[in-house]
Amino acid sequence: MASRSETTPTGMDFGRAGSVSEQESSGAAMRSGLGKVVIHLVVIVLCFLTIFPFFWMVSTSFKQADEVFTKSIHLFPSSPTLKNFPNAFTYFPVANWMWNSFGIAVLTTLGKVLISVPAAFAFSRLKFRGDKLLFAMVLATMIVPGIVTVVPNYILVSRLGWLDSWVAVIIPSLPATAFYVFLLRQSILTLPQDLLDAGRIDGASTIKLLWQIVMPNVRPAIAVVVILSFLGAWNQYLWPLLVLNDFKAKTLATGMQFFTANTEAAQMWGPMMATATIAALPPLLLYALAQKQIISTFVTSGIKG
Amino acid sequence: MALARNKMDAPPSSDASAPTVLQSRRSWSWYRFSEGITPYLLIAPLLILIAIFIYWPLIYSFYLSFFDWNFVRPDKTFVGWDNFTRLPNDPRFMRALHGTWIYFVALVPIQVFLPLGLAILLWPIRASRAQSAYRIMLFSPTVIAYSVAAVMWLWIFNPLQGILNKLLTGFGVERINWLSDRDTAIWAIIIVATWKTLGFHLLLYMAALEAVPNDYVEAASLDGASNWQIMRSIRFPLITPTFFFVLVTTVISVNDDVFGAINVLTNGGPFESTTNIIYYLYQQGFQYFQIGAASAVAVIVFLATALLTWLQFRFVERHVHYG
Repeated sequence: MASRSETTPTGMDFGRAGSVSEQESSGAAMRSGLGKVVIHLVVIVLCFLTIFPFFWMVSTSFKQADEVFTKSIHLFPSSPTLKNFPNAFTYFPVANWMWNSFGIAVLTTLGKVLISVPAAFAFSRLKFRGDKLLFAMVLATMIVPGIVTVVPNYILVSRLGWLDSWVAVIIPSLPATAFYVFLLRQSILTLPQDLLDAGRIDGASTIKLLWQIVMPNVRPAIAVVVILSFLGAWNQYLWPLLVLNDFKAKTLATGMQFFTANTEAAQMWGPMMATATIAALPPLLLYALAQKQIISTFVTSGIKG
Repeated sequence: MALARNKMDAPPSSDASAPTVLQSRRSWSWYRFSEGITPYLLIAPLLILIAIFIYWPLIYSFYLSFFDWNFVRPDKTFVGWDNFTRLPNDPRFMRALHGTWIYFVALVPIQVFLPLGLAILLWPIRASRAQSAYRIMLFSPTVIAYSVAAVMWLWIFNPLQGILNKLLTGFGVERINWLSDRDTAIWAIIIVATWKTLGFHLLLYMAALEAVPNDYVEAASLDGASNWQIMRSIRFPLITPTFFFVLVTTVISVNDDVFGAINVLTNGGPFESTTNIIYYLYQQGFQYFQIGAASAVAVIVFLATALLTWLQFRFVERHVHYG
């Protein structure tokens, strides 16, 4: 390892100290330096292409109606206006949609955590008759495409009189947690057995063990489940599209549709992009805040059998 | 219970399941009984919900696929295999099948291999400070709703006012009706889908590459292996579980995923050139109320998914190295 590092004489910090992989390149430092510049350039172009639609959405949402339709391209609004946001709220019940998106996302997240954490604990640390079979049944739900269950679930939900209500969206989407159960189980399996034994010696019941020892120790994994469930629920489209027909009962993701149905109203693009910005903001903020957490859970829990 | 703090100091128990001290006044047998059913209580909410909203609908779909029913009529008419045998004669179904195939062959490689290549490309600069900024930017489309993404692109693709055509006409290229031309519409949706999903798989691959233990790499590099050799013979085999996971989930979900984009951007048109089997099912069930036909398609989608998953486990998984 020492000999390797001597062959990179630039003295530049190639990364975390002591990591051999940093010295994989034994080629000329010049060449590897140039290579890195090229990589950076390629990635920057890619990042630009990725970010541009976001930028364009936000830029349009601050433009006056007449500037939206200029012949030439105005990257930034020449006289920025906030008008599109209140306009969007008056054209369509965007406030109701926001509230519905928020309520449904929060309650779905809560429900998913409440059912997946105990199940993950049971499947990772408890022995009981049929445990392997039942766990396989949980995992097998991952290969059932959502669309396959849509018709019978719609029939059920409408028979129950749930249409146009939050429960109609929330309850049927709760069992889609196999991946979270899997993630949480991986995380619980990494806890040292001594930790659980210690609780047992103390005479703790299984429930106590879960509540007082397991839960506090897998908090990062639970946080990831919370984030991913929230994102999933905030963004879900097909199911709320089917069960929320009332204009005011819709969510942001499904309500946006009305703007596209009214594109003949030329001045709609500004308010439409304003609504899209509102719908995109919470998930983007959440991700920006929690990206390290998400990544580290994927690394430590591992996508392994 | 202060034990959670100094967990490591606790002595290991010889018999973990039998508590030595019982603090409650309950009898031993009650304790045994309640501890015996506890696992089932813990998994019950999940399993009950799965049974009601996933397994029962699956079975009920099979049942409904043999009936003619419009959802409103009180009685269902048994029609045997008619709902299935009628499908090949429905030109709209055949076009949906064709669309499904195009999405599949275009998007599976794009979603499985492109992020892998990108993760490998990004590997040499993983330690640079810009890295996490890149990662945040590239991942950002993943976290927003498909319908919101589609709305953003609807504006970009707009034939008269969209920025894409403004750019192209600026270069003297003729205006393209991205979403209303049957030759381009499906590719417009594929572009949106690529933009939308690239970051998630990239993140998974990058996480997997970082998780490769350094000692393997160290040993190989001491033996004089080149960068590329290390990537190909050590890092890649060790991330095959992630590769397999990405492959299986992509194959399952790729046609499901584009539903939102289809519904917002094209409604399956023009001339059903952008429809797929998922969108066809949606239209049969919820626009024409052909519950039997929709259920028959649901059965086909399920069986095809199960078959594809089985094939991958049978023929691809043997090449996966579980570390």
